[in-house]
Amino acid sequence: MLVKVLYFGKLKELSGSAEESVELRDGARIEDLFAVCAEARPEMREFRRSLVAARNREFAAWDTALQAGDEIGFLPPVSGG
Amino acid sequence: MASRYNPVDRVELIRQPIPNAAIARDVRGDGDGAVATFDGCVRNHSHGRATRFLEYEAYDEMALAKMRDIAAELHGRFAIDRIAMVHRLGRLEIGETSVFIAVSAAHRDAAFDACRYAIDTLKKTVPIWKKEHFADGAVWADGEMPPVPKSTASEESGAETPAAKPASN
Repeated sequence: MLVKVLYFGKLKELSGSAEESVELRDGARIEDLFAVCAEARPEMREFRRSLVAARNREFAAWDTALQAGDEIGFLPPVSGG
Repeated sequence: MASRYNPVDRVELIRQPIPNAAIARDVRGDGDGAVATFDGCVRNHSHGRATRFLEYEAYDEMALAKMRDIAAELHGRFAIDRIAMVHRLGRLEIGETSVFIAVSAAHRDAAFDACRYAIDTLKKTVPIWKKEHFADGAVWADGEMPPVPKSTASEESGAETPAAKPASN
């Protein structure tokens, strides 16, 4: 299945991209997606504990199961205001 | 979350200067006796360093959804009339308004309390990021970790926006 991944803030700089499409096995969870995305990017992996995930624009736990077409955002701590 | 967003409220992300006075004026209705506002503005220093300017970016669609959730929550918690919540994105200079919140109510207590709750919750839950530019470089500001369900097993138990804590600036 194909999902869309969005990166923001510092993570966008670490990942070197704002958006990508990732092909995953059926049954994959958000944490599996992150592992795939961070595979070739060690500095992104180190940032993992400072991130939260959003699935289809709602905050989501890392063990949330994904579905084809999902939009997943990886978000650094927020600093609006 | 099913949003009870009320269309009389005004929730926006904009890339130009925020029209603070017009927003405060428009949020008032004839049944209101109070309008409380919060003007979050760019200061010239951070952690002892001189700030040159700030840059804000957002996960636009989600940020708007979260801001509408806050507006809906305010109506449930406080005896208020209308809410306006506008955040600016892009490059902002010292002194410019980055976020403006206005709340109208029949009486002042509700207007003050709701305005405070709105900015505290925005700073914790809305996906917006700020990059601070100094004379000798730039850093992404320390932020807050939004409240997120730890696992799908606990999702149904109602892990939702917790009580806001005082703003850090």
